[in-house]
Amino acid sequence: MRRYVLKRVLTAVFTLLAILLVLFILMQLMPGSPFNDEKLNADQRALLYAKYGLDQPVPVQFLRYVGNMLRGDFGVSYKISKNTPISQLIASRLPISIRIGLFAVTIGALIGLVLGLVAALFHDTFIDTIATIISVIGVSVPSYVFALALSFEFGFKLSWFPMLFNSQHELASSVLPSVSLSMFTMASIARFTRSEMMEVLGSEYMLLAESKGISGGALIFRHALRNALIPIITVLAPLIVDLMTGSLVVEKIFAIPGVGSLLVNAIQSNDYNVVISLSFIYSAMYIAIMLVVDILYGIIDPRIRLAKEGD
Amino acid sequence: MADFVEINSTPEDNFTEADFKLKNNVEDIMIDTNFASQSFWKEVGAQFIKKKSAVFGLIAIIIITVLAIIGPGMNEYSYSDQDLLKKNFAPRIPGIESVGIFDGTEKISTTTGTKEINYYEEQKQPDVYFWFGSDNFGRDIWTRTWSGARVSLIIAVAAAIIDMLIGMSYGLISGYFGGRVDMVMQRILEVSNGIPRLVIVTLLLLVLNPGIITIVFALMLTEWIGMSRIARAEMLKLKEQEFVLASRTLGARPLFIIFKEVLPNIIGPIITQVMFSIPTAIFTEAFLSFVGLGIPVPQCSLGSLISEGFNSFTTHPYQIVPPIIVMALLMLSFNLVADGMREALDPKFKEM
Repeated sequence: MRRYVLKRVLTAVFTLLAILLVLFILMQLMPGSPFNDEKLNADQRALLYAKYGLDQPVPVQFLRYVGNMLRGDFGVSYKISKNTPISQLIASRLPISIRIGLFAVTIGALIGLVLGLVAALFHDTFIDTIATIISVIGVSVPSYVFALALSFEFGFKLSWFPMLFNSQHELASSVLPSVSLSMFTMASIARFTRSEMMEVLGSEYMLLAESKGISGGALIFRHALRNALIPIITVLAPLIVDLMTGSLVVEKIFAIPGVGSLLVNAIQSNDYNVVISLSFIYSAMYIAIMLVVDILYGIIDPRIRLAKEGD
Repeated sequence: MADFVEINSTPEDNFTEADFKLKNNVEDIMIDTNFASQSFWKEVGAQFIKKKSAVFGLIAIIIITVLAIIGPGMNEYSYSDQDLLKKNFAPRIPGIESVGIFDGTEKISTTTGTKEINYYEEQKQPDVYFWFGSDNFGRDIWTRTWSGARVSLIIAVAAAIIDMLIGMSYGLISGYFGGRVDMVMQRILEVSNGIPRLVIVTLLLLVLNPGIITIVFALMLTEWIGMSRIARAEMLKLKEQEFVLASRTLGARPLFIIFKEVLPNIIGPIITQVMFSIPTAIFTEAFLSFVGLGIPVPQCSLGSLISEGFNSFTTHPYQIVPPIIVMALLMLSFNLVADGMREALDPKFKEM
């Protein structure tokens, strides 16, 4: 077990370093300069470059960069909000994005689980067909289409919820974005739960449990669902990451002051430092989630751990 | 079983004396009519057609593809013709307009209430027909939707095929050679899998000039991983089998075994994976356009049309509806076809 964990952690560290290198190289390749203001002459430009350390040799810049990033010092924003430390910018916006993301995961996972469970229990009936249709639509329609539809119907026409984010009514404002983000999670979990449940329900240990006289809720929840849940943990991790992607567009649609809209703004105004820092944060979160899920999965299911060690 | 019953009930059951004579070495004895195997692809096709949703998906894909090819040429507009006199016209279709729908009127909600407006009459353009309406530069949405669908399809299919080539080769080689080669290649893959594709794609598009080729390139860099995993898993299953051993004994080189012997046997799962990666590519392209990193204007893709329509979707909702429906239908159809193919190709799924 210790060897397995160590291996996962090492991979994660290398991935993080690789990302830092990629980000750094890309930053060097970026077109234009943050200082392409026509009012600046060459001397002033050189002064600015020196101030931000952009005149040093590349390897020195990179080492300093890695050190700064790991200490959480992302430098300052050049454009969006001049000279504000990026860590401060992100810190003020991250909580709201995480909150909406957590809402979305919770809604999606719960509804998806119920939908998949019901579809598997009433397999090949009308209920199953409906659940399957819902999940196929959820997987195929991008979250921002849901966001637009919901915002048109419930925000614009019916005015049940605010169309744009309003910090005075945070809870009401979070409903539409969370629901539109949760659709994909819901659909994927539903599909996965259904196929896992079908497999478990057809297994011999379920037959044994049934012949021992266990029935109803105990049979389904204690014996079937528990075993079906194990693999679902693995799909949850990539889904959380997909939420990050979705949140970019959904935050733009609902004008939520989160990190997603910050990244979009930074991309559009060529504020490299902010783009790079946010990419780093996204990647670090992604790697952390993957690491936790891998280790969790190894603890829950010894087969995985052993198989990977033999690899 | 069905074949067996059917053969027994044919009129050929009336045996003649010739049937009871020894045949010796006639070639007839080689042919087993009772258990004649059907060709693999025939069986897959039959399985596929049984699934209604997959057939629906296939038909929808064909219709959209045909419209993406001929749609932009079906009226006199081009995707970039601007005419500010004809901006924001609601959909108007000849023939249907007399019924009362698609007659060019739209409801405008204002603070004082809603009123119906017909821009065709207000701008004195009685002979103009925009089947899907026109956008706020006076461009025909029908033409733009289908040329957008064309661009999106080209990007998605090109990206999926390139991903297939790269991922397949990577996975097959890694799986076949095993040992240290596999170890190194898998570590590289793990590290690249740890980088969120959103980050790579976004950064790449900032560095390179936007356009179809750049987007395909960015998608190529991120989407090959899933394909290579599948190819490697299939290779690990097959490489211990006798036909590989036989080929190796006959002196075949590794590359010959990988691409000529093993590849034809795993083409099913690979095609299924390609079908699954097409909707992902369409979605990623749409997402990039929405963020502002997509196809440069005046060219358009489904994603850029949606993001243009978004700016006025509360006042002129008809502008955003066609691209959204086409994109959702396209993604849905590819998912349905991929599901159907997976079930048809993999007997394990048949019971489910």
